[in-house]
Amino acid sequence: MSATLQNLVNQPYKHGFVTSIESDVAPKGLNADTIRMISAKKKEPEWLLEFRLKSYEAWLKMEEPTWPNVHYPKIDFQEISYYSAPKQKPKLKSMDEVDPELLRTFEKLGVPLHERMALAGVAVDVIFDSVSVATTYKDKLAEVGIIFCSMSEAVQDHPELVQKYLGTVIPSTDNFYAALNSAVFTDGSFCYIPKGVKCPMDLSTYFRINTEESGQFERTLIVAEEGASVSYLEGCTAPAFSSNQLHAAVVELVALDNADIKYSTVQNWYAGDEKGVGGIYNFVTKRGLAKGVNSRISWTQVETGSAITWKYPSCVLLGDNSVGEFYSVAVTNHYQQADTGTKMIHIGKNTRSTIVSKGISAGHSNNSYRGLVKVAPSATGARNYSQCDSMLVGHHSGAHTFPYIQVANNCSQVEHEASTSKIGEDQLFYFAQRGIDAEAAVSMIINGFCKDVFQQLPMEFAVEATALLSFKLEGSVG
Amino acid sequence: MSTSDTVNAGYLESLLAGRPHVPASPLAWLNTLRSEAVDRVGVLTVPTQRDEEWRFTDISQLNRMSFHPVRTTVDLQAEEAGRFRIEEAASRLVFVDGVYAPHLSIIDTDNGVSVVNLEAGLAANAVALESCLGRYAEFRNEVFSALNTAFLQDAALVVVPQDVSVSAPVHLLFIATQKDVASYPRCLLLAGSGSVVTVIEDYVSLQEDAYFTNAVTEIVLAENARVNHIRVQREGMKAVHIANGAVSLARASNYQSVSVAFGARISRYNLNVRLAEEAECAVDGLALIAGRQLADTHTCIDHAKPHAMSHQLHKCIVGGGAHAVFNGKIMVRQGAQRTDSRQSSRNLLLTNKAHVDTKPQLEIFADDVKCTHGATIGQLDSEEVFYLQSRGLSETVARNMLTYAFGAEIIERIPVPSLKSLLEQTVLDQTTVQP
Repeated sequence: MSATLQNLVNQPYKHGFVTSIESDVAPKGLNADTIRMISAKKKEPEWLLEFRLKSYEAWLKMEEPTWPNVHYPKIDFQEISYYSAPKQKPKLKSMDEVDPELLRTFEKLGVPLHERMALAGVAVDVIFDSVSVATTYKDKLAEVGIIFCSMSEAVQDHPELVQKYLGTVIPSTDNFYAALNSAVFTDGSFCYIPKGVKCPMDLSTYFRINTEESGQFERTLIVAEEGASVSYLEGCTAPAFSSNQLHAAVVELVALDNADIKYSTVQNWYAGDEKGVGGIYNFVTKRGLAKGVNSRISWTQVETGSAITWKYPSCVLLGDNSVGEFYSVAVTNHYQQADTGTKMIHIGKNTRSTIVSKGISAGHSNNSYRGLVKVAPSATGARNYSQCDSMLVGHHSGAHTFPYIQVANNCSQVEHEASTSKIGEDQLFYFAQRGIDAEAAVSMIINGFCKDVFQQLPMEFAVEATALLSFKLEGSVG
Repeated sequence: MSTSDTVNAGYLESLLAGRPHVPASPLAWLNTLRSEAVDRVGVLTVPTQRDEEWRFTDISQLNRMSFHPVRTTVDLQAEEAGRFRIEEAASRLVFVDGVYAPHLSIIDTDNGVSVVNLEAGLAANAVALESCLGRYAEFRNEVFSALNTAFLQDAALVVVPQDVSVSAPVHLLFIATQKDVASYPRCLLLAGSGSVVTVIEDYVSLQEDAYFTNAVTEIVLAENARVNHIRVQREGMKAVHIANGAVSLARASNYQSVSVAFGARISRYNLNVRLAEEAECAVDGLALIAGRQLADTHTCIDHAKPHAMSHQLHKCIVGGGAHAVFNGKIMVRQGAQRTDSRQSSRNLLLTNKAHVDTKPQLEIFADDVKCTHGATIGQLDSEEVFYLQSRGLSETVARNMLTYAFGAEIIERIPVPSLKSLLEQTVLDQTTVQP
């Protein structure tokens, strides 16, 4: 049985192809001039250039972090090109104007843009490498006063909002990769939900790294004003390249009084081949600030791709009664490495947080959960519940948990639970008895294992994630 | 980095300064071991909070304290040591400030167990000790272990021959009597195959000033051996207590340990347990601290081979402005299939200045294993308090009772009745808040 199953798990990356669109690529290397060049190309205001240069200064003084439980050859930051934009006429009003080749790419990825628009009512802000090509449903959103555009547009059209919030949740000196991103970010999404507005549809962005050797540095900023609510979806795929690509994104969320932000990610970037050659380095800093009272920030992630994943979507629960949530499924196979988890920083009174993390490791991969629950002395009545379960598939994989729990007052409750399990022969036998083959059985078991997280995903994503997981792991058990 | 959070570079040299007093041994390997350790002390530095293993434990206060090795031994009267007597113990070795005190020790030779100071042990069987002493407690990368090994002279040596089973516990008593003294207690326990023994490692103080205890304990279990290890740390309230324990379990051996920490201003206990096939261990701990105390327990249970089992329950009761740290690592190596491991960290915070950092950590490289861990930090359950109140108890009494019960769960696992009741009384006294 195991041989057939092994074949299934070793399916090649089906999204591996390169779209040949001419790219406007900056020369390799990073210095203050590169940053000035990026800033000038994007016609940015003076304050943003200063922000970038300051971040660059800070970055120069920082050292690459070595504490994550991941191993990779040292990255030469001077070997990366920091800017690449498809040579396209920007500002497209309708889908018909989009380069047909680009559309075909998304078709292959299984992201039928128009279908999505029509059926799901999802506005997709398409990011192709670093420049926004098409933004849909913008008018409909504009009606209720929601600003949903690319970061470059936001800088041009709403500089006051960007200036007010950019870097407030993740200061440019936060960590090595956040500083690098702050210095060189090219584009990303910006979303602003005004006071009292409930966003009428799920907002979504598809990222795709295209040009070989070009690191991508997105910057996403979502602000929900008092009483506003939004659900944001992010999905990723990347073509198969043999040399490693660096991806260091920064995502900042700000929720004011009674606001609610839900951020969902499905990440399926190229993970390298079965020998561990190539693949994306995904070093992401994501943090939400629950600034106002009764605000809520919820992260849901399904991490299946990337050679190395290194991300900790965090919640800073500053407002009283604010809520932080983290639901994660991380799947690693072959030689993939994932070090992911969350940080819940309780500062306000009666703040609550929930962490549900499911890690599945197969092949020679290593999957680590690293989390921090910190309850400050001021966070009276804080409550946390964490659960992190691991599933190991095969004899060569590793699962690790590093939960840090720090409590500094006596009226908080913190609970942490973890378990490790495997798919047992007896379980498979039970399925076989009922006429379900191993392949379908494994898929069912895995989906059952991840159910708590998938339930949190928006409908379309849940379907995609289920398929993705089955495709990634089917058959690695036997 | 500011000098406030680091320990001065010269600090280790100052601790080593008294080492010339350690007389050379006639045994070349022992001298080599010591000098190797001295070399390592020269290379290593005192850990700071920037080291992951010491992240929550601030020992920068060492800067403000200076310690020297014991210069003159105190001639302790039998009755002074007598107050720490444990009635069940047939043999007792007493070390005053780390120095062996033969006149206070009682050695029972009838039951077949050899309980002696290192010197006598070396005279009897140096060859057997060469392969054990200093071979289990890692000192090449652990500066405090290295310091202890550098000063290695007197040590409690317990050797249980094959198939010998002793019911009376062995009491190893370490008494601190002098201010500003750094003492280096050392224990080595060799349990032969099929043997059964209970050992009590007991750290006490006769004075309340600052001193430094840097202990190392090595326990080696041969096949099918069974060791009960009770570790009681009731040092003076200004003491610094740093201890390293290394336990090696051969096939199908069983190690049961209860470690209790009440004393010391700063205490740190590193325990490494390595399990072979079918070995079992239960590693339980209780830290009961208040005031400005800091109690840190770091354990690493290494499932190196398949079919081993480990259970761990660690509890902290933290009052005043005290700070408790727990880091429990469970390592399941590749091929260590059918491992069964359970770990639980329970913490009770009594005041709003108390502080707990806990990190139950799992590292698993085998797929057919059962590993769970859990951690909770909280207060007494209000429903439990209410239940007792509904039975006519006052709130204070109800809280005292529940706090006591929380700690007593660990104490109850101690298989020595007199020590158990003594420690239960200590827990009761410390957790009782007067109405």
